Amino acid sequence: MKKRLYLELENCIGCRSCLAACTQCGGHEERNRNYVYDVNPLVNRQTMPLMCLHCENPACARSCPAQAIQIHETGAVLSALVEKCIGCQNCTIACPYGIPKFDQEQNLMYKCDLCIDRTKDGIPPMCASVCPSNTLQWLTDEEIENKKKQFNLDNGKWVTSMPYLEGETNVKVNLPGILQGITKLF
Amino acid sequence: MQAKAAVNQKSGNILNNAFASHFAKSMFLSVTALAILSFIGTRMFTHVDLNLYGYMVGTIVFIGGFFYRFIAWGERPPTKLILKKGLKLLFRKSTPKTSVEHLATYNFIWNRGIYRWTQHVLIGWGCILSCFVTFPLVFGWMYFTMDDNGYYNIIAMGMKVMTVPADGIIANLSYNALNITAVMVIAGVCMALYRRLKNMQARAEQKFLYDFMPLYMLLLVSITGLALTFMNIFLHGAGQPAMSLIHQWSVIITLIYLPFGKLAHIPFRPMSILARNYREHYAEQGMKECKVCGDQFVSAEQSKDVVDVLCVNDIEFKAKEGHHLAEMCLPCRRKYRIAQFSGFPTHEVKVKEANQNAKG
Repeated sequence: MKKRLYLELENCIGCRSCLAACTQCGGHEERNRNYVYDVNPLVNRQTMPLMCLHCENPACARSCPAQAIQIHETGAVLSALVEKCIGCQNCTIACPYGIPKFDQEQNLMYKCDLCIDRTKDGIPPMCASVCPSNTLQWLTDEEIENKKKQFNLDNGKWVTSMPYLEGETNVKVNLPGILQGITKLF
Repeated sequence: MQAKAAVNQKSGNILNNAFASHFAKSMFLSVTALAILSFIGTRMFTHVDLNLYGYMVGTIVFIGGFFYRFIAWGERPPTKLILKKGLKLLFRKSTPKTSVEHLATYNFIWNRGIYRWTQHVLIGWGCILSCFVTFPLVFGWMYFTMDDNGYYNIIAMGMKVMTVPADGIIANLSYNALNITAVMVIAGVCMALYRRLKNMQARAEQKFLYDFMPLYMLLLVSITGLALTFMNIFLHGAGQPAMSLIHQWSVIITLIYLPFGKLAHIPFRPMSILARNYREHYAEQGMKECKVCGDQFVSAEQSKDVVDVLCVNDIEFKAKEGHHLAEMCLPCRRKYRIAQFSGFPTHEVKVKEANQNAKG
Protein backbone atom coordinates (compact mmCIF):
# COMPACT_ATOMS: atom_id res chain seq x y z
CA MET A 1 0.00 0.00 0.00
CA LYS A 2 1.60 3.23 -1.11
CA LYS A 3 1.74 5.83 1.59
CA ARG A 4 2.67 9.45 1.35
CA LEU A 5 4.10 12.06 3.63
CA TYR A 6 1.31 14.48 4.38
CA LEU A 7 1.80 17.84 6.13
CA GLU A 8 -0.81 19.70 8.12
CA LEU A 9 1.20 22.84 8.52
CA GLU A 10 -0.89 24.65 11.11
CA ASN A 11 -0.46 21.87 13.67
CA CYS A 12 3.23 22.62 14.04
CA ILE A 13 4.28 23.60 17.55
CA GLY A 14 7.92 24.25 16.70
CA CYS A 15 9.38 21.48 18.86
CA ARG A 16 11.88 20.53 16.14
CA SER A 17 11.53 16.83 16.88
CA CYS A 18 11.53 16.27 13.13
CA LEU A 19 14.96 17.89 12.84
CA ALA A 20 16.35 15.75 15.65
CA ALA A 21 14.80 12.60 14.21
CA CYS A 22 16.18 13.40 10.77
CA THR A 23 19.74 13.32 12.11
CA GLN A 24 19.19 9.74 13.27
CA CYS A 25 18.15 8.28 9.93
CA GLY A 26 20.50 5.78 8.29
CA GLY A 27 22.67 7.56 5.74
CA HIS A 28 22.02 11.04 7.13
CA GLU A 29 25.30 11.07 9.05
CA GLU A 30 23.77 12.93 11.98
CA ARG A 31 22.85 16.04 10.07
CA ASN A 32 19.25 17.08 9.61
CA ARG A 33 17.91 17.82 6.17
CA ASN A 34 14.65 19.56 6.99
CA TYR A 35 13.67 22.96 8.34
CA VAL A 36 11.25 24.57 10.77
CA TYR A 37 10.42 28.24 10.29
CA ASP A 38 8.78 30.89 12.41
CA VAL A 39 6.01 32.35 10.32
CA ASN A 40 6.08 35.78 11.94
CA PRO A 41 9.03 35.56 14.32
CA LEU A 42 8.72 38.96 16.00
CA VAL A 43 5.01 38.69 16.65
CA ASN A 44 3.84 35.17 17.46
CA ARG A 45 5.02 31.59 17.91
CA GLN A 46 3.41 29.96 14.89
CA THR A 47 5.90 27.70 13.12
CA MET A 48 5.80 25.56 10.01
CA PRO A 49 8.04 22.72 8.91
CA LEU A 50 9.55 22.72 5.45
CA MET A 51 11.11 19.72 3.83
CA CYS A 52 11.72 18.33 0.40
CA LEU A 53 8.30 17.89 -1.22
CA HIS A 54 9.63 15.32 -3.71
CA CYS A 55 8.44 16.97 -6.91
CA GLU A 56 7.14 14.76 -9.67
CA ASN A 57 9.36 16.70 -12.07
CA PRO A 58 12.26 17.62 -9.77
CA ALA A 59 14.21 20.70 -10.81
CA CYS A 60 17.24 19.59 -8.78
CA ALA A 61 17.60 16.38 -10.77
CA ARG A 62 16.94 18.16 -14.06
CA SER A 63 19.72 20.65 -13.34
CA CYS A 64 22.27 18.10 -12.13
CA PRO A 65 25.09 17.70 -14.66
CA ALA A 66 26.29 14.44 -13.13
CA GLN A 67 22.94 12.62 -12.88
CA ALA A 68 23.73 12.29 -9.19
CA ILE A 69 20.15 12.89 -8.05
CA GLN A 70 18.12 9.79 -8.74
CA ILE A 71 14.40 9.30 -8.45
CA HIS A 72 13.35 6.19 -6.55
CA GLU A 73 10.55 4.00 -7.83
CA THR A 74 8.43 5.17 -4.89
CA GLY A 75 8.73 8.71 -6.24
CA ALA A 76 11.23 9.89 -3.63
CA VAL A 77 13.87 12.21 -5.01
CA LEU A 78 17.04 10.83 -3.50
CA SER A 79 20.03 12.65 -2.06
CA ALA A 80 23.05 12.98 -4.36
CA LEU A 81 24.97 9.77 -4.97
CA VAL A 82 28.22 10.39 -3.11
CA GLU A 83 30.44 9.08 -5.88
CA LYS A 84 28.73 11.08 -8.61
CA CYS A 85 28.13 14.51 -7.06
CA ILE A 86 30.68 16.91 -8.53
CA GLY A 87 29.89 19.79 -6.20
CA CYS A 88 28.57 22.31 -8.74
CA GLN A 89 25.60 23.24 -6.53
CA ASN A 90 23.23 23.63 -9.47
CA CYS A 91 20.59 21.78 -7.46
CA THR A 92 20.66 24.31 -4.64
CA ILE A 93 20.01 27.08 -7.16
CA ALA A 94 17.36 25.14 -9.07
CA CYS A 95 15.21 23.94 -6.15
CA PRO A 96 12.19 26.24 -5.91
CA TYR A 97 11.98 25.60 -2.16
CA GLY A 98 15.68 25.98 -1.31
CA ILE A 99 15.94 22.50 0.21
CA PRO A 100 19.29 20.93 -0.81
CA LYS A 101 22.17 21.53 1.58
CA PHE A 102 25.78 21.60 0.51
CA ASP A 103 28.86 20.52 2.42
CA GLN A 104 31.88 22.49 1.18
CA GLU A 105 34.41 20.27 2.95
CA GLN A 106 33.03 17.04 1.54
CA ASN A 107 32.20 18.68 -1.80
CA LEU A 108 28.83 16.98 -1.57
CA MET A 109 25.18 17.92 -1.71
CA TYR A 110 22.73 16.26 0.65
CA LYS A 111 18.96 16.53 0.86
CA CYS A 112 15.90 14.77 2.24
CA ASP A 113 15.60 11.30 0.73
CA LEU A 114 12.33 10.60 2.53
CA CYS A 115 14.32 8.12 4.66
CA ILE A 116 14.31 5.80 1.69
CA ASP A 117 15.62 2.84 3.69
CA ARG A 118 12.43 3.07 5.76
CA THR A 119 9.81 4.31 3.31
CA LYS A 120 10.69 1.78 0.61
CA ASP A 121 9.40 -0.83 3.07
CA GLY A 122 6.37 1.22 4.04
CA ILE A 123 7.83 2.43 7.35
CA PRO A 124 7.16 6.13 7.94
CA PRO A 125 10.10 8.52 7.57
CA MET A 126 11.82 9.57 10.79
CA CYS A 127 10.22 13.02 10.88
CA ALA A 128 6.68 11.68 10.54
CA SER A 129 7.25 8.92 13.08
CA VAL A 130 8.23 11.35 15.83
CA CYS A 131 6.00 14.35 15.14
CA PRO A 132 3.99 14.84 18.37
CA SER A 133 1.40 17.18 16.89
CA ASN A 134 0.43 15.26 13.74
CA THR A 135 1.89 17.94 11.54
CA LEU A 136 3.78 15.27 9.66
CA GLN A 137 1.78 12.17 8.87
CA TRP A 138 2.32 9.05 6.82
CA LEU A 139 -0.93 8.21 5.08
CA THR A 140 -2.35 6.21 2.22
CA ASP A 141 -4.07 8.06 -0.60
CA GLU A 142 -7.36 6.73 0.76
CA GLU A 143 -6.71 8.20 4.19
CA ILE A 144 -5.82 11.52 2.61
CA GLU A 145 -9.08 11.32 0.67
CA ASN A 146 -10.99 10.71 3.93
CA LYS A 147 -9.32 13.72 5.50
CA LYS A 148 -10.42 15.72 2.53
CA LYS A 149 -14.05 14.79 3.32
CA GLN A 150 -13.61 16.00 6.92
CA PHE A 151 -12.49 19.40 5.83
CA ASN A 152 -14.90 21.45 3.83
CA LEU A 153 -12.86 24.18 2.24
CA ASP A 154 -14.94 24.17 -0.93
CA ASN A 155 -12.26 25.72 -3.09
CA GLY A 156 -10.98 22.67 -4.95
CA LYS A 157 -7.55 23.39 -3.54
CA TRP A 158 -7.71 21.39 -0.39
CA VAL A 159 -4.32 19.82 -0.77
CA THR A 160 -1.96 22.47 -1.98
CA SER A 161 -0.50 22.48 -5.40
CA MET A 162 -0.56 25.54 -7.60
CA PRO A 163 -0.40 28.42 -6.75
CA TYR A 164 1.04 27.54 -3.34
CA LEU A 165 3.56 25.13 -4.81
CA GLU A 166 5.41 25.23 -8.09
CA GLY A 167 4.20 21.90 -9.41
CA GLU A 168 2.82 18.50 -8.50
CA THR A 169 4.60 16.87 -5.59
CA ASN A 170 4.64 13.44 -3.99
CA VAL A 171 4.40 14.95 -0.52
CA LYS A 172 0.97 16.43 0.03
CA VAL A 173 0.68 19.70 1.92
CA ASN A 174 -2.52 20.77 3.62
CA LEU A 175 -3.26 24.48 3.44
CA PRO A 176 -3.05 26.15 6.82
CA GLY A 177 -6.69 27.11 7.02
CA ILE A 178 -6.44 28.90 10.35
CA LEU A 179 -3.74 31.27 9.20
CA GLN A 180 -5.65 31.97 6.04
CA GLY A 181 -8.80 32.74 8.00
CA ILE A 182 -10.67 29.77 6.54
CA THR A 183 -12.71 27.76 9.01
CA LYS A 184 -11.90 24.12 9.37
CA LEU A 185 -15.02 22.02 9.90
CA PHE A 186 -14.30 18.92 11.94
CA MET B 1 44.00 36.00 -37.23
CA GLN B 2 40.27 36.02 -37.56
CA ALA B 3 40.50 34.55 -41.05
CA LYS B 4 42.64 31.76 -39.67
CA ALA B 5 40.14 31.04 -36.95
CA ALA B 6 37.40 30.95 -39.55
CA VAL B 7 39.40 28.49 -41.63
CA ASN B 8 39.99 26.37 -38.55
CA GLN B 9 36.32 26.33 -37.83
CA LYS B 10 35.56 25.41 -41.41
CA SER B 11 38.04 22.55 -41.42
CA GLY B 12 36.52 21.42 -38.13
CA ASN B 13 33.13 21.34 -39.82
CA ILE B 14 34.52 19.38 -42.74
CA LEU B 15 36.01 16.85 -40.33
CA ASN B 16 32.65 16.52 -38.62
CA ASN B 17 30.90 16.05 -41.94
CA ALA B 18 33.04 13.01 -42.64
CA PHE B 19 31.35 11.10 -39.82
CA ALA B 20 27.82 9.87 -39.39
CA SER B 21 27.74 10.81 -35.71
CA HIS B 22 29.66 12.11 -32.76
CA PHE B 23 30.06 8.52 -31.65
CA ALA B 24 31.50 7.40 -34.97
CA LYS B 25 33.98 10.26 -34.97
CA SER B 26 35.18 9.67 -31.42
CA MET B 27 35.45 5.95 -32.02
CA PHE B 28 37.36 6.39 -35.27
CA LEU B 29 39.76 8.94 -33.79
CA SER B 30 40.53 6.92 -30.67
CA VAL B 31 41.01 3.60 -32.44
CA THR B 32 43.22 5.36 -34.99
CA ALA B 33 45.20 7.02 -32.22
CA LEU B 34 45.64 3.67 -30.46
CA ALA B 35 46.77 2.04 -33.70
CA ILE B 36 49.27 4.81 -34.45
CA LEU B 37 50.64 4.78 -30.91
CA SER B 38 50.99 1.00 -31.03
CA PHE B 39 52.64 1.22 -34.44
CA ILE B 40 55.25 3.59 -33.00
CA GLY B 41 55.52 1.87 -29.63
CA THR B 42 55.99 -1.61 -31.01
CA ARG B 43 58.52 -0.50 -33.63
CA MET B 44 56.16 -1.09 -36.54
CA PHE B 45 54.33 -3.98 -34.89
CA THR B 46 57.47 -6.05 -34.41
CA HIS B 47 57.07 -6.33 -30.63
CA VAL B 48 53.39 -7.08 -30.09
CA ASP B 49 52.70 -9.30 -27.08
CA LEU B 50 50.07 -11.55 -28.64
CA ASN B 51 49.38 -13.15 -25.26
CA LEU B 52 47.49 -9.95 -24.48
CA TYR B 53 45.39 -9.58 -27.63
CA GLY B 54 42.21 -10.44 -25.68
CA TYR B 55 42.77 -7.36 -23.54
CA MET B 56 43.24 -5.32 -26.71
CA VAL B 57 39.86 -6.38 -28.10
CA GLY B 58 38.31 -5.85 -24.66
CA THR B 59 39.72 -2.34 -24.48
CA ILE B 60 38.27 -1.44 -27.86
CA VAL B 61 34.83 -2.73 -26.85
CA PHE B 62 35.24 -0.76 -23.63
CA ILE B 63 35.98 2.42 -25.61
CA GLY B 64 32.79 1.82 -27.60
CA GLY B 65 30.73 1.58 -24.41
CA PHE B 66 32.55 4.52 -22.92
CA PHE B 67 31.73 6.84 -25.82
CA TYR B 68 28.16 5.57 -26.03
CA ARG B 69 27.59 6.34 -22.37
CA PHE B 70 29.44 9.61 -22.12
CA ILE B 71 28.29 11.19 -25.36
CA ALA B 72 24.69 10.51 -24.36
CA TRP B 73 25.44 11.95 -20.94
CA GLY B 74 27.21 15.00 -22.36
CA GLU B 75 24.12 15.85 -24.39
CA ARG B 76 22.09 16.60 -21.26
CA PRO B 77 21.70 20.39 -21.06
CA PRO B 78 23.32 20.95 -17.63
CA THR B 79 26.19 18.58 -18.43
CA LYS B 80 26.83 20.19 -21.78
CA LEU B 81 26.91 23.60 -20.17
CA ILE B 82 29.45 22.72 -17.49
CA LEU B 83 31.58 20.80 -19.98
CA LYS B 84 31.61 23.69 -22.44
CA LYS B 85 32.28 26.46 -19.95
CA GLY B 86 34.54 24.34 -17.77
CA LEU B 87 36.80 23.34 -20.65
CA LYS B 88 37.26 27.00 -21.58
CA LEU B 89 38.41 27.67 -18.02
CA LEU B 90 40.69 24.66 -17.88
CA PHE B 91 43.86 26.74 -17.68
CA ARG B 92 43.16 28.58 -14.48
CA LYS B 93 45.95 29.01 -11.98
CA SER B 94 44.14 26.85 -9.44
CA THR B 95 43.60 23.91 -11.82
CA PRO B 96 46.72 21.89 -10.85
CA LYS B 97 45.92 22.21 -7.16
CA THR B 98 42.25 21.33 -7.63
CA SER B 99 43.17 18.38 -9.87
CA VAL B 100 45.57 16.94 -7.33
CA GLU B 101 43.06 17.38 -4.51
CA HIS B 102 40.17 15.86 -6.47
CA LEU B 103 41.90 13.15 -8.49
CA ALA B 104 45.04 12.16 -6.58
CA THR B 105 44.75 12.84 -2.87
CA TYR B 106 40.94 12.78 -2.58
CA ASN B 107 40.82 15.47 0.14
CA PHE B 108 37.04 15.62 -0.01
CA ILE B 109 36.82 11.93 0.84
CA TRP B 110 39.18 12.49 3.78
CA ASN B 111 36.55 14.90 5.05
CA ARG B 112 33.92 12.19 4.70
CA GLY B 113 35.94 9.89 6.93
CA ILE B 114 39.49 8.60 7.23
CA TYR B 115 38.42 4.97 6.88
CA ARG B 116 36.64 5.70 3.62
CA TRP B 117 39.61 7.73 2.43
CA THR B 118 42.00 4.87 3.13
CA GLN B 119 39.89 2.33 1.28
CA HIS B 120 39.42 4.73 -1.61
CA VAL B 121 43.13 5.49 -1.92
CA LEU B 122 43.94 1.77 -1.88
CA ILE B 123 41.33 0.87 -4.50
CA GLY B 124 41.75 4.03 -6.57
CA TRP B 125 45.52 4.06 -6.75
CA GLY B 126 45.67 0.29 -7.04
CA CYS B 127 43.48 0.50 -10.15
CA ILE B 128 45.22 3.56 -11.62
CA LEU B 129 48.68 2.07 -11.22
CA SER B 130 47.48 -1.24 -12.67
CA CYS B 131 46.16 0.62 -15.70
CA PHE B 132 49.49 2.42 -16.09
CA VAL B 133 51.20 -0.96 -16.24
CA THR B 134 48.61 -2.97 -18.16
CA PHE B 135 47.65 -0.72 -21.05
CA PRO B 136 51.21 0.13 -22.15
CA LEU B 137 51.97 -3.60 -22.14
CA VAL B 138 48.79 -4.48 -24.06
CA PHE B 139 49.36 -1.88 -26.76
CA GLY B 140 53.12 -2.38 -26.85
CA TRP B 141 53.93 1.12 -25.62
CA MET B 142 56.28 -0.50 -23.14
CA TYR B 143 58.16 -3.77 -23.39
CA PHE B 144 61.38 -5.37 -22.24
CA THR B 145 64.30 -6.75 -24.23
CA MET B 146 67.56 -8.35 -23.16
CA ASP B 147 70.85 -7.55 -24.92
CA ASP B 148 73.39 -8.54 -22.30
CA ASN B 149 72.66 -11.53 -20.18
CA GLY B 150 71.26 -10.42 -16.84
CA TYR B 151 70.27 -6.93 -17.97
CA TYR B 152 66.83 -5.86 -19.13
CA ASN B 153 66.23 -2.90 -21.43
CA ILE B 154 63.02 -1.05 -20.68
CA ILE B 155 61.63 0.18 -24.00
CA ALA B 156 58.97 2.90 -23.87
CA MET B 157 57.32 4.12 -27.09
CA GLY B 158 60.03 2.33 -29.06
CA MET B 159 62.89 4.09 -27.28
CA LYS B 160 65.29 2.47 -24.86
CA VAL B 161 64.69 4.31 -21.59
CA MET B 162 67.04 2.45 -19.30
CA THR B 163 68.95 -0.77 -18.79
CA VAL B 164 68.51 -2.40 -15.42
CA PRO B 165 69.98 -5.50 -13.78
CA ALA B 166 67.47 -8.35 -14.01
CA ASP B 167 67.59 -8.92 -10.26
CA GLY B 168 67.73 -5.24 -9.30
CA ILE B 169 65.17 -3.16 -7.48
CA ILE B 170 63.61 -1.49 -10.52
CA ALA B 171 63.32 -4.79 -12.37
CA ASN B 172 61.73 -6.47 -9.37
CA LEU B 173 59.31 -3.60 -8.93
CA SER B 174 58.34 -3.93 -12.60
CA TYR B 175 57.74 -7.68 -12.38
CA ASN B 176 55.73 -7.26 -9.21
CA ALA B 177 53.94 -4.01 -10.00
CA LEU B 178 50.64 -5.77 -10.64
CA ASN B 179 51.09 -7.97 -7.57
CA ILE B 180 51.57 -4.90 -5.41
CA THR B 181 48.55 -3.12 -6.88
CA ALA B 182 46.51 -6.33 -6.52
CA VAL B 183 47.31 -6.43 -2.82
CA MET B 184 46.35 -2.74 -2.56
CA VAL B 185 43.03 -3.36 -4.32
CA ILE B 186 42.27 -6.47 -2.26
CA ALA B 187 42.97 -4.60 0.98
CA GLY B 188 40.83 -1.65 -0.15
CA VAL B 189 37.97 -3.84 -1.34
CA CYS B 190 38.00 -5.79 1.92
CA MET B 191 37.79 -2.52 3.85
CA ALA B 192 34.93 -1.41 1.61
CA LEU B 193 33.10 -4.72 2.02
CA TYR B 194 33.56 -4.59 5.78
CA ARG B 195 32.12 -1.07 5.83
CA ARG B 196 29.19 -2.15 3.69
CA LEU B 197 28.46 -5.05 6.04
CA LYS B 198 28.89 -3.20 9.33
CA ASN B 199 28.07 0.46 8.74
CA MET B 200 24.37 1.06 9.32
CA GLN B 201 24.37 4.15 7.14
CA ALA B 202 25.89 2.29 4.21
CA ARG B 203 23.55 -0.63 4.78
CA ALA B 204 20.56 1.65 4.61
CA GLU B 205 21.15 2.60 1.01
CA GLN B 206 23.25 -0.04 -0.70
CA LYS B 207 22.06 -2.33 -3.47
CA PHE B 208 23.72 -5.57 -4.41
CA LEU B 209 24.16 -4.93 -8.11
CA TYR B 210 25.16 -1.29 -7.82
CA ASP B 211 27.35 -1.29 -4.71
CA PHE B 212 28.60 -4.83 -4.19
CA MET B 213 29.09 -6.23 -7.67
CA PRO B 214 31.82 -3.75 -8.70
CA LEU B 215 33.69 -4.62 -5.49
CA TYR B 216 33.39 -8.35 -6.17
CA MET B 217 34.57 -7.80 -9.74
CA LEU B 218 37.65 -5.91 -8.56
CA LEU B 219 38.24 -8.66 -6.05
CA LEU B 220 37.95 -11.33 -8.74
CA VAL B 221 40.39 -9.48 -11.00
CA SER B 222 42.93 -9.05 -8.20
CA ILE B 223 42.66 -12.55 -6.81
CA THR B 224 42.93 -14.28 -10.18
CA GLY B 225 45.88 -12.00 -10.97
CA LEU B 226 47.64 -12.94 -7.77
CA ALA B 227 46.77 -16.59 -8.39
CA LEU B 228 48.73 -16.38 -11.64
CA THR B 229 51.81 -15.28 -9.73
CA PHE B 230 51.21 -17.96 -7.13
CA MET B 231 50.95 -20.66 -9.80
CA ASN B 232 54.11 -19.48 -11.49
CA ILE B 233 56.20 -19.38 -8.35
CA PHE B 234 54.90 -22.27 -6.27
CA LEU B 235 53.23 -24.65 -8.73
CA HIS B 236 55.75 -24.33 -11.57
CA GLY B 237 53.06 -22.95 -13.80
CA ALA B 238 50.48 -25.69 -13.22
CA GLY B 239 47.00 -24.39 -14.05
CA GLN B 240 48.44 -21.16 -15.31
CA PRO B 241 46.91 -21.28 -18.82
CA ALA B 242 43.39 -21.79 -17.45
CA MET B 243 43.85 -19.16 -14.75
CA SER B 244 45.18 -16.64 -17.25
CA LEU B 245 41.98 -17.07 -19.27
CA ILE B 246 39.84 -16.62 -16.15
CA HIS B 247 41.83 -13.51 -15.27
CA GLN B 248 41.52 -12.17 -18.80
CA TRP B 249 37.78 -12.79 -18.78
CA SER B 250 37.34 -10.99 -15.42
CA VAL B 251 39.35 -7.98 -16.56
CA ILE B 252 37.50 -7.67 -19.87
CA ILE B 253 34.08 -7.99 -18.22
CA THR B 254 35.03 -5.35 -15.64
CA LEU B 255 36.31 -3.03 -18.37
CA ILE B 256 33.19 -3.38 -20.49
CA TYR B 257 30.96 -2.87 -17.46
CA LEU B 258 32.94 0.13 -16.20
CA PRO B 259 31.09 2.97 -18.00
CA PHE B 260 27.67 1.67 -16.97
CA GLY B 261 27.76 1.10 -13.24
CA LYS B 262 29.22 2.59 -10.12
CA LEU B 263 32.71 2.51 -11.59
CA ALA B 264 31.58 5.13 -14.12
CA HIS B 265 32.47 7.73 -11.51
CA ILE B 266 36.15 7.18 -12.39
CA PRO B 267 35.94 8.76 -15.85
CA PHE B 268 33.24 11.16 -14.51
CA ARG B 269 35.34 12.63 -11.77
CA PRO B 270 37.43 15.14 -13.76
CA MET B 271 34.12 17.00 -14.24
CA SER B 272 34.40 18.14 -10.63
CA ILE B 273 37.47 20.16 -11.57
CA LEU B 274 35.54 21.82 -14.38
CA ALA B 275 32.72 22.53 -11.96
CA ARG B 276 35.09 24.02 -9.39
CA ASN B 277 36.77 26.23 -12.00
CA TYR B 278 33.36 27.28 -13.29
CA ARG B 279 32.25 28.32 -9.83
CA GLU B 280 35.50 30.08 -8.91
CA HIS B 281 35.83 31.94 -12.21
CA TYR B 282 32.30 33.27 -12.39
CA ALA B 283 32.28 34.11 -8.68
CA GLU B 284 35.17 36.48 -9.44
CA GLN B 285 33.25 37.90 -12.40
CA GLY B 286 30.29 38.96 -10.33
CA MET B 287 27.98 37.63 -7.69
CA LYS B 288 24.23 37.43 -7.76
CA GLU B 289 22.48 39.36 -5.04
CA CYS B 290 19.42 37.86 -3.44
CA LYS B 291 16.32 39.71 -4.62
CA VAL B 292 15.00 39.82 -1.07
CA CYS B 293 17.88 40.21 1.39
CA GLY B 294 20.70 41.28 -0.95
CA ASP B 295 23.11 38.57 0.16
CA GLN B 296 25.57 37.40 -2.47
CA PHE B 297 24.93 33.68 -2.69
CA VAL B 298 26.05 32.43 -6.12
CA SER B 299 27.74 33.74 -9.24
CA ALA B 300 25.46 35.69 -11.56
CA GLU B 301 26.49 33.41 -14.42
CA GLN B 302 25.51 30.20 -12.63
CA SER B 303 22.19 31.64 -11.54
CA LYS B 304 21.45 32.53 -15.16
CA ASP B 305 22.67 29.17 -16.43
CA VAL B 306 20.45 27.22 -14.04
CA VAL B 307 17.44 29.30 -15.07
CA ASP B 308 18.25 28.56 -18.72
CA VAL B 309 18.74 24.84 -18.08
CA LEU B 310 15.41 24.65 -16.30
CA CYS B 311 13.82 26.51 -19.21
CA VAL B 312 15.10 23.84 -21.60
CA ASN B 313 13.34 21.32 -19.34
CA ASP B 314 10.11 23.34 -19.51
CA ILE B 315 10.43 24.34 -15.88
CA GLU B 316 10.06 27.96 -15.00
CA PHE B 317 9.74 29.20 -11.45
CA LYS B 318 8.52 32.75 -11.62
CA ALA B 319 7.69 34.47 -8.37
CA LYS B 320 4.67 36.74 -8.20
CA GLU B 321 7.10 39.63 -7.71
CA GLY B 322 8.42 39.04 -11.23
CA HIS B 323 11.82 37.55 -10.52
CA HIS B 324 12.85 33.94 -10.83
CA LEU B 325 12.97 31.82 -7.68
CA ALA B 326 16.63 30.99 -8.44
CA GLU B 327 17.39 34.68 -7.85
CA MET B 328 16.65 34.37 -4.15
CA CYS B 329 19.15 33.04 -1.64
CA LEU B 330 18.30 29.71 -0.04
CA PRO B 331 16.98 30.89 3.34
CA CYS B 332 14.89 33.55 1.60
CA ARG B 333 13.55 30.98 -0.85
CA ARG B 334 12.48 28.74 2.03
CA LYS B 335 10.85 31.63 3.88
CA TYR B 336 9.21 32.70 0.63
CA ARG B 337 7.54 29.28 0.48
CA ILE B 338 6.36 29.59 4.07
CA ALA B 339 4.97 32.96 3.04
CA GLN B 340 3.03 31.34 0.19
CA PHE B 341 1.49 28.88 2.65
CA SER B 342 0.57 31.35 5.37
CA GLY B 343 -0.11 34.50 3.41
CA PHE B 344 2.24 36.41 5.70
CA PRO B 345 5.48 37.65 4.03
CA THR B 346 7.90 35.80 6.29
CA HIS B 347 10.81 36.46 3.92
CA GLU B 348 10.48 40.19 4.42
CA VAL B 349 10.96 40.00 8.19
CA LYS B 350 14.62 40.79 8.80
CA VAL B 351 15.27 37.98 11.23
CA LYS B 352 17.88 35.32 10.66
CA GLU B 353 16.56 31.76 10.52
CA ALA B 354 17.02 30.18 13.93
CA ASN B 355 17.49 26.65 15.28
CA GLN B 356 17.77 24.90 11.95
CA ASN B 357 20.51 22.46 12.90
CA ALA B 358 19.79 19.65 15.30
CA LYS B 359 22.74 17.96 16.98
CA GLY B 360 22.67 14.30 16.10
